[in-house]
Amino acid sequence: MTTCASDLVVGNERGIHGRVATRLAEVASEFAVVLQIRRAEETVECSSILDVLSLALVQGSEISVQAVGEQAEAAMAAAAELITAQEDP
Amino acid sequence: MDDNRQPVSRTLQGIGVSPGIAAARVLVMKRHAWRAGWRHLPDDHVEKEVERFLLAIRTAGAELAQLREKLAADLADALSIIDSHLLMLKDKMIIERTVAIIRRNSVNAEWALAQALSEIKERFEQIDDRYIRERYADIKHVADRVFGLLTGREHDGLGGDDLPVILVANDFSPEDALRMQAGNVLGFLTEKGGVTSHTAIVARSLNIPAVVGLEHATSILATGDLIILDGRTGQVTLHPEPSEIRRRQEGNRRNHAKADDLDRYIHLASETEDGYVVRLSANIEMRQELPAVLRYGSEGIGLFRSEFDYFQGQEPPSEEQLLATYRQLLETMAPHPVTVRTLDVGGDKFLHSFPGNGAWLDQERNPALGLRSIRFSLYERDLFRIQLRALLRASVYGRLRILLPLVSALNEVRQAKAVIAGVMEQLAEESTPFAANVEIGMMVEVPSAVVMADVFAREVDFFAIGTNDLIQYSLAIDRGNQYVAHLYEPFHPAVLRMIRQTVEAGHASNIPVSLCGEMAGDGLCAPVLMGLGLDELSMRPAVIPRIKRMLRHSRSNELRNLARQTLECEDSERVREFLAATLPHFYPKDFYQS
Repeated sequence: MTTCASDLVVGNERGIHGRVATRLAEVASEFAVVLQIRRAEETVECSSILDVLSLALVQGSEISVQAVGEQAEAAMAAAAELITAQEDP
Repeated sequence: MDDNRQPVSRTLQGIGVSPGIAAARVLVMKRHAWRAGWRHLPDDHVEKEVERFLLAIRTAGAELAQLREKLAADLADALSIIDSHLLMLKDKMIIERTVAIIRRNSVNAEWALAQALSEIKERFEQIDDRYIRERYADIKHVADRVFGLLTGREHDGLGGDDLPVILVANDFSPEDALRMQAGNVLGFLTEKGGVTSHTAIVARSLNIPAVVGLEHATSILATGDLIILDGRTGQVTLHPEPSEIRRRQEGNRRNHAKADDLDRYIHLASETEDGYVVRLSANIEMRQELPAVLRYGSEGIGLFRSEFDYFQGQEPPSEEQLLATYRQLLETMAPHPVTVRTLDVGGDKFLHSFPGNGAWLDQERNPALGLRSIRFSLYERDLFRIQLRALLRASVYGRLRILLPLVSALNEVRQAKAVIAGVMEQLAEESTPFAANVEIGMMVEVPSAVVMADVFAREVDFFAIGTNDLIQYSLAIDRGNQYVAHLYEPFHPAVLRMIRQTVEAGHASNIPVSLCGEMAGDGLCAPVLMGLGLDELSMRPAVIPRIKRMLRHSRSNELRNLARQTLECEDSERVREFLAATLPHFYPKDFYQS
């Protein structure tokens, strides 16, 4: 098991909206990792799109992301790309 | 009931928003209000109830997956909506929470699901960001589907049966609208909505006949009723005579056969047999229509109505929001031109944004002649500058043409150009890149602009003739007034002469002249317009292949002769007689029923 963690800033103009959250859930399942987002005291798992949406991450939100699993590094890279990109996936 | 009488045929009137005729049985989709009755379960029923809930989830998932399968791969936005709905369906906040409530309280699944949903709703209502908060609508939609399965709603036609239907509903969701793409939907009818509603726009881009705004449609009509729906006139015939249905269905089959033949023209050049080119471009109002624009082989966007972004929220859109829209249009269409018409509305639409200005708006007794379009933009210059900044910043991503609507005097063009020059200067100071060669054109839709076209032609880079308004203003006809609407006449010789005069004035100054308006996509009008020398015709994307076929079966000298002879007619009746007698020889496929 590998664990990867990273502090990121949300880049998308409309925040982590439906499509971004959908892709994050897909990343978690594609790479078979547990992917978590923490903002302040709250931690959610990316497998729950509703949890992620309800964090209401707007552009500029500072979050910590953690991936746990065999392919944690690859998953982290994909997740970071989605979270920090200004464009919709 | 033993009743052999033929039900009496009756006609209902709605608003036609997407032309075409459909004759089929209706499928009435009633969206149930949440009436999740509470039911206590005996202990040994609890696990069965959990199973029943999970089955409903699986079935809903299968329905969505099936819908996804049927969708064309180019509808990326739509596919991604369905993907997110599939994830919501499997979300622990829905599944685990509902199951937990069933077990803990020994209650029925409907009530438990309603509970889980209200908890989610509570969380979402606390979100400050409006865009994310509004995703609750999607969750509600997904839950509605499960709820419908639990309560045993009527089968909604999604499954294997391929009987063609006309869908009837209060209003449609994204999935409903997309399902129409999936094959067995011939048309649709809603109680809500107007010409510019989201539903109407989707219908037009999918080329499905649609009527909206027919009140009480879901109560008047019952699933299985036969109707004929005319998406042009808005007329709906309930229980039509059998002979009437046969006649209409025959027409439908012919239309389908025609469509197959038309597909061949999508990738061919838009030119006559002797190589005379007329650009055929698209009129659209949302970036979501881009897939249709590409599918029908449009060579650019001849008219982007920029109003949609302005009516999404309480506040006018930000520069960044507009930039995202314009950039996508330009990038998608490059190297073809994208013509964006600046805001074309009256000030009444913005009443809430400019509270101090309410006074003058109350006085507008004649909105068509009032503070609207370019007049409004020049009055609210800050709003205008935001749109211009977004446009100019987008201009580096493709070929942009800026179109000024409702110009009636030279001064308006000069003032608008001065504002544009000011914005360019500001961008240059900030070192923000923009294309220096952006073309600036004007709509020719007010009679004074036609009369003075030679003067205007020296001030702008192109003309776009807007026939819908030009006809209304020059014939003094309000098309929305049922008592005079019959006088609205594209073939009035005055209209044709104005088009010719504008083309000649434009060409004398070496600027291109396009025409956007319903005339451009009308089979009877288009050959005349081509013969009048228009460089570009802009129309609904779906009609482009047909107009291109006519163009490719023409010779330029024949088109010019046709236009010349049409202009010799003294009134619109003669024009129609002449064209009805002449055109079928040139375009047998369009005028003879094969």
